[in-house]
Amino acid sequence: MKMTPALLVIGGIMVFWASVFIVIILPSIVWQEPPSAAWQPWSDDEAAGHDLYVRNGCSYCHSQYVRVMDWGEGAERIAQRGDYVNQLPAILGTERTGPDLSQEGGEHPEDWQIAHFINPRNTRPLSLMPSWEFLGMRDIRHLTAYVRSLGGKDATFRAQRQEEWKPQAADAYAGGPAANIQWLHDHVPAPWHPMPNPYPATDAALQRGHKIYQDFCAGCHGVVGDGNGPAKEFLNPPPLNFTELRDHLVGGQYIGGIFYYQVMNGITGTGMPYFKRELESEKIWDVSNYIAVDFVGYTDAETAPLGIDASYEPEWKNNYSLPGADEK
Amino acid sequence: MSNDAGKPQSAAVAFMVAGSAWFALGTIYGLFSAIHLMAPEFFNNIPWLVFGRTRPVHVNTMIFGFVANMLIGCALYYVPALLRTRLWSQKLGWIAFIFWQIAVLSGPVTFPFAITQGREYAEYVWIFDLCIMISLLTLVFNCVLTIAARRQNMLYVSVWYAIGALIWTAGVYPIGNVMWHPSSGALPGLIDSIFLWFYGHNLVGLLLTPLAIGAAYFVVPRVTRTPLYSHTLSLIGFWTLLALYAHIGGHHLLQAPIPNWLKSISVVDSMAMIIPVFTVLANVWLTARGSLSRLWKDPAGRFVLAGTIWYLIVGIQGSVQSLPAVQRITHFNNWVIGHAHIAVLGFSGFIALGAMWHVLPLAAGRRLYSHRLVNVQFGLALLGLIGFFAVLTAAGLIQGVGWYNGEAIYRVLPEIAPFMVLRAALGILIMAASFLGLYNAIRTLRGAPLRESESPLQEGPL
Ligand code: HEC
Ligand code: HEC
Ligand code: HEM
Ligand code: HEM
Repeated sequence: MKMTPALLVIGGIMVFWASVFIVIILPSIVWQEPPSAAWQPWSDDEAAGHDLYVRNGCSYCHSQYVRVMDWGEGAERIAQRGDYVNQLPAILGTERTGPDLSQEGGEHPEDWQIAHFINPRNTRPLSLMPSWEFLGMRDIRHLTAYVRSLGGKDATFRAQRQEEWKPQAADAYAGGPAANIQWLHDHVPAPWHPMPNPYPATDAALQRGHKIYQDFCAGCHGVVGDGNGPAKEFLNPPPLNFTELRDHLVGGQYIGGIFYYQVMNGITGTGMPYFKRELESEKIWDVSNYIAVDFVGYTDAETAPLGIDASYEPEWKNNYSLPGADEK
Repeated sequence: MSNDAGKPQSAAVAFMVAGSAWFALGTIYGLFSAIHLMAPEFFNNIPWLVFGRTRPVHVNTMIFGFVANMLIGCALYYVPALLRTRLWSQKLGWIAFIFWQIAVLSGPVTFPFAITQGREYAEYVWIFDLCIMISLLTLVFNCVLTIAARRQNMLYVSVWYAIGALIWTAGVYPIGNVMWHPSSGALPGLIDSIFLWFYGHNLVGLLLTPLAIGAAYFVVPRVTRTPLYSHTLSLIGFWTLLALYAHIGGHHLLQAPIPNWLKSISVVDSMAMIIPVFTVLANVWLTARGSLSRLWKDPAGRFVLAGTIWYLIVGIQGSVQSLPAVQRITHFNNWVIGHAHIAVLGFSGFIALGAMWHVLPLAAGRRLYSHRLVNVQFGLALLGLIGFFAVLTAAGLIQGVGWYNGEAIYRVLPEIAPFMVLRAALGILIMAASFLGLYNAIRTLRGAPLRESESPLQEGPL
């Protein structure tokens, strides 16, 4: 075969456009995109947020579709074709330096999002996300509105749940520490109340807890557990000051079960996120022991009710005295 | 440069030197991005240095500014040279040059201020899309008329690739940038992603790849002074590249809710991409057989040889990572960033550099300022890139395996931190390579004229 100019130009164009026909024109003709059950249109603010998302390159770090195998990332809702109707552009993303955001709406209340946008290290000490403070509050509100919409109707449902609990949490906080802690603990199911931390508070466990605390919690609760982390100024209610718990232990002695439940599930309506995806059981018990020992000054680890001695337990004796006792 | 505008090869020279300059600027933006991923508060709250804005400057400057520029420059030299004629119009060549540079310049000028269409690789706003199109169409026009005025009846394989790349990209670019929607450059809904990845893939596949192969086909036989191994292999490589590459954009969307038949096509034909990759490599390497040491000893040949070896790695990796089972681990993480760097820098970038060091002296009529500097540049770039590949692939595997194991992304961030530091450090090597190259290119232009015996049109690879 001899390559002539005609063959090169005309042949090249024909084969190329045949491919275009297969992968561009044909899909365009047969494309159907009925809105999915969760889909809903954007408000003006949400659309403005989307525009900011596109122009500021959020998509180079965040994807917007959940895959079947994403079970560390919330595979409750796998992406569907009809989720993207009318989005211009539907910006799927090719990299996950940060998490998928397609179901982000309502995961956190708005004050968390704002604290996070101003500086992600406020709420997430190890984050690689840029600070967006320079955008100004107006743009940050648009981004927050957009993020609230991600997930469509499912997101609205979650966001409304956050917004229902928010005033109650704020009111409880306004009522002073005692009322606030009462409110917080009343929402933990009763069986968790008289539950001690089953893990010994050994030095190694406390060191592990310390590391977890610094990587996950210090931005809000503060390095010394007084609730004065950098996120505080954005959050209402502000992060809990753990030292206050000293006077409000359950029945004067328990706190382990409450800690576990709250860290695992988060406190809807407040900035307190759930950590069930990031921290496995032992880590939650370790960080609970750390908070208890370092900030409350007492841990209920390995106090009654005890189960059968577990095989993992080293020899350890709880020498912490009850808060009431050592104040005498 | 303006006093050179009338010289026979000035447009080609301009493209190549601009490519060297963009290479240097692009690495600076690469380094900004890498520093962010290492220390996110390094440039805290400086709007024009925020990661989401520097990254597209880096990527577009590298693809359009460095690699495409340099390879187009080489093509503007070798197409007429191989046809034993002159470029039909230097003036048109300069017009193409200016419009192309305006578009590339728009990257660092607009993206840092959040003026962008935001779709990966299609970020240039409409008016600059238009500049690219004007540039491409004038290049096509110019080259076709150059063919018409040829004094060599046979079209050498490099010419096919150069013409092909320009003609196809003139089709790919407006489709992918949805240029009939000037304000958004996108279609509403998920179908946009099909257009985008048709484009994103063919930008590297039907622009950089054929231009780089064309340049390799030009440089290798000239350096080794051996005839092309096989015309048949050239034909197979050329037509299969076009037939297969054009419809595998779907492999970027394998896990997204696009129609399954598009995914199937893309997986099957991505595997089949082995054919064009291997035929081209076989043809180039067999051409050089017995003279490999000559290729290696020539500074330009060395770059091209290394580029072909990267192409082998890229081709194998690319096909393998198109398999759904593999993408479960490799998609969404630094593995793909590793692939992108060995592809764009290793394969097309190395060949662009090699071809430039071969062509620039011929086109400018000047002797290469320093062979030594080219070798140093080669060493730095190679070291940096091998490091990139290792570091990014390792980081990607850590991320991919961790996620697949159910670990949250936040938990994996500290695990990749050391790799992000290494990547930024290695980036300095590549940055040094780019600045050395720019210096060498500028010094070459001001250097001694070429001897008569080295003059361009005397010997071709035919
Ligand atoms: C350099 C990459 C990067 C860029 C750019 C980026 N992010 Fe992030 N983002 C991250 C990382 C990493 C996390 C995970 C840690 C954290 O929560 O901060 C994250 C987390 C988030 C979260 C919280 C997810 C959750 O519930 O834990 C939201 C919301 C978010 N990003 C929105 C955005 C928006 C909106 C933009 C653009 C204005 C953006 N991001 C740009 C990296 C990035
Ligand atoms: C984004 C900020 C934020 C982060 C990060 C955060 N918290 Fe909280 N935390 C809060 C807020 C806000 C409250 C509720 C305060 C209120 O309602 O008064 C809270 C409450 C709690 C409580 C409830 C105490 C009780 O007695 O009911 C516990 C326990 C707790 N946090 C532990 C942690 C741990 C452990 C981490 C890290 C793994 C953590 N928090 C991270 C903001 C945060
Ligand atoms: C100084 C040297 C370099 C550094 C530090 C660097 C750094 C980076 C960084 C940080 C990213 C973003 C990765 C991410 O989002 O996680 C990136 C992406 C990219 N870089 Fe570079 N880079 C360098 C050189 C180059 C060169 C020379 C080329 C091409 C010739 C290149 C081509 C690309 C491409 C195509 C992407 C996009 C990858 C993708 O989206 O998959 N880079 N680079
Ligand atoms: C030869 C056969 C090739 C195949 C089969 C192939 C395959 C792939 C696949 C499957 C991906 C997507 C990975 C993912 O997102 O999980 C990818 C990404 C990429 N490829 Fe290739 N590739 C090939 C050659 C090349 C060449 C020659 C270049 C450049 C000159 C290149 C540049 C890129 C870039 C820049 C990306 C990143 C896209 C993004 O931003 O996500 N590839 N390739």
